[in-house]
Amino acid sequence: MEVTLGQVLALLGAAMAVFLPGVGSAKGVGMVGEAAAGVVAEDPNKFSQTLILQALPGTQGIYGLLTGFVVMQKIGLLGGNLLPLTTYEGFLVFAACLPISVVGLLSAIAQARAAAAGVGIVAKKPEEVAKGITYAAMVETYAVLSLLASILMLFGLRFS
Amino acid sequence: MAIVKMKKMYVFGLKKDRDRILDTLQKLGAAEIADLKEEDIDDGEVTRELSELESKLGRLKMAIDFLKPYGKEQNPLVYGRPKISVKRLQELLSREDEISEVVNIISGFDQRIYRLKAEESRIKNQIELLKPWLRLDIPVENLGRAGKVELRAVAVPKKNYKPLVDKLQEKELPLEIIPIGESQDDNLLLAIYHHSAISDVQELFKEFSVTTEEFSGLKGTPTQIIAQFQERLGAIETERQKIQVEISKLRDHLLDLEALYDYWFLEKQKKENLLKMAGTEKVFLMKAWVPEPSVEAVKEAVTSAAGASHVVFEEPSEEDDIPVVLSNPRIVQPFEIVTELYSLPNPREIDPNIFMAPFFFVFFGMMVSDAAYGLVLSLLSGLALWKLKIKGAGRKLVELLFLGGVSTFIWGMIFGSWFGDLIKIKPLWLNPMDNPMAVLYLSFAMGLVQIYVGIILSACKNIKSGNIADAVMDQVLWLVFLTGLVMMIFPGLAGVAKYVALSGAVGLVLTQGRSQKNIVKRLISGVLSLYNVAAYFSDVLSYSRLLALGLATGVIATVINTMARLIGVNILGYIVMTIVMVGGHFFNIAVNALGAFVHGSRLQYIEFFGKFYEGGGRPFDPLRMETKYVDLEDA
Repeated sequence: MEVTLGQVLALLGAAMAVFLPGVGSAKGVGMVGEAAAGVVAEDPNKFSQTLILQALPGTQGIYGLLTGFVVMQKIGLLGGNLLPLTTYEGFLVFAACLPISVVGLLSAIAQARAAAAGVGIVAKKPEEVAKGITYAAMVETYAVLSLLASILMLFGLRFS
Repeated sequence: MAIVKMKKMYVFGLKKDRDRILDTLQKLGAAEIADLKEEDIDDGEVTRELSELESKLGRLKMAIDFLKPYGKEQNPLVYGRPKISVKRLQELLSREDEISEVVNIISGFDQRIYRLKAEESRIKNQIELLKPWLRLDIPVENLGRAGKVELRAVAVPKKNYKPLVDKLQEKELPLEIIPIGESQDDNLLLAIYHHSAISDVQELFKEFSVTTEEFSGLKGTPTQIIAQFQERLGAIETERQKIQVEISKLRDHLLDLEALYDYWFLEKQKKENLLKMAGTEKVFLMKAWVPEPSVEAVKEAVTSAAGASHVVFEEPSEEDDIPVVLSNPRIVQPFEIVTELYSLPNPREIDPNIFMAPFFFVFFGMMVSDAAYGLVLSLLSGLALWKLKIKGAGRKLVELLFLGGVSTFIWGMIFGSWFGDLIKIKPLWLNPMDNPMAVLYLSFAMGLVQIYVGIILSACKNIKSGNIADAVMDQVLWLVFLTGLVMMIFPGLAGVAKYVALSGAVGLVLTQGRSQKNIVKRLISGVLSLYNVAAYFSDVLSYSRLLALGLATGVIATVINTMARLIGVNILGYIVMTIVMVGGHFFNIAVNALGAFVHGSRLQYIEFFGKFYEGGGRPFDPLRMETKYVDLEDA
């Protein structure tokens, strides 16, 4: 099979969309986990509340995987017959992967900071955990928006 | 509906009736006693009784916590809490001395176990210290001076050992060292030297930081000592087991202790409320909050408990700190948890729950949007509601998940998604993956509706407090302006839209600066206020998450199915495939239900509540039969 530069670029985009937000989420979930472990050491009953906070920065990794998957489907990688993409087409796919890749990476870490601070709320006032979750969810908005942008771009692309 | 009206109750009565009145009120659970005094006046007797109760409760709590691991109580989540009848309680109270004796025995056990534990850890430490000395075959009490010879067990840091040996050979002191063993950092030696050389040896030891081991208080060779210690450890273990057998004999008392704890806990709550009352030697005055529907019941209860008391009800005044009770139709009640997690409404505003509930319901389902997931969610939460005895906020949350599952099911049918693309059923409307823009517009439209409702509620609030002009200028004009802008999207309406938007905008420019005195400043603030349109715009855009999260669920489900199908090539593969599918879809349900709850709540908190809602209410906390361990039954 002849491999085109366009295919390489598209696959690069898919890979980037998976690994950048994945790295961000892994780092973020780890950060919140560290903070949560400290609280749970004092009071093991707070496990479920802190677990919710820990899960929040994990979504970016999922969004990234999802975008990568849409790319793979789009360029026919999953069906087994890779489309012969031109260089420009490859760049289009690559560009579509940019929003979730960059925003996913950075927002996961920023969200983890907010969520780790939310763990502090759980330590002192566990009944107010919803407020901590809301603060962290405010950050998530931008990951959701960039996911939406990436996916709409990808859905909009049509390759013969 | 909405926030229940509160009445202020004053009870004026004889002090001897006080306890009886509190007793009835506690059973009724419909009155919150308010603090009449500005500050706690020290009522000597009540304070003393309270501290007595406090220490009694502390002791009972200790005994309960101690016995709990031995008891075989049924899980209250499945079987509910144990029930104790009043008769049984009377009987318990009559033999309180006996129960107090049980508490004493338990606290004795507690101390014994504590002492055993301390001894055990001391012995274990000493064994660790002695272990490296095992090869020393002299009884340790014989170390020291024996005639003209000094016998010493010494430890030298490992890095100093070789230099020490070299030095010794060089100096030819009357000193012999015999290696015994090694600890983690030191070489252990037996040093034998003539008494005359003691000062030289001490100097040498100092130079190489050699320390002398004293073994104070021990007798026998290290081997013997360790054997004795092991024996003692065995004895400790046996004693502990004996104590545990003794304790488990007491476990039948656990329920008695718990019942008694709850009884005294209720007494304590009553006593604490006494401190809030005012009074003289013979009479007292009590102030309490009573929800309007319970007024008659409370009045009757108080007068029947103490005929000599006088009860008055009053409307709350402006500056009263009124507690809040919500009363909503059964179907809306689960949604109250969303508002409660944010903040209860303050007593002088509207209860947002009934307006918020339909939006939350629709949004939750749209964000999970898979018919099969909805069925699973409803089935699981329905099962939990049916089989488990969940109470309070937890129950509301599970009920909310149940309703969310229903909504998810409906949206799943609309979008034709059943475990992603696993089961192919034609969508009622369209598959968002084929036409995401249509769903995006639907999301914006629903957001717009919620924002409109928010603005209208804000107008209602203004009208309710008599500021009709504010309602027109701040809310109606915005509605006109926004409607005009929205109409511009539709080509057929563009002509009219221009004028609608323009009239709204002109109105806003003229009115929004009305707090400014200067006419120029007034116009400038008016023009600047139009910038708020950006806020409304971003609010609407925020609802795009409805589409994004819905797509995320669908695509992840498809990923799971694709991965699973790749594995399903032979028998073993089919087994793994099933595991991947079940696990994957459960994971997807959990992550997306959490996401839908969090983002659904966020849309309410920021985009909706931000328009009109203040919050900050204090929950109604009546004097009631609130117990910790058992349910006291009035029979």
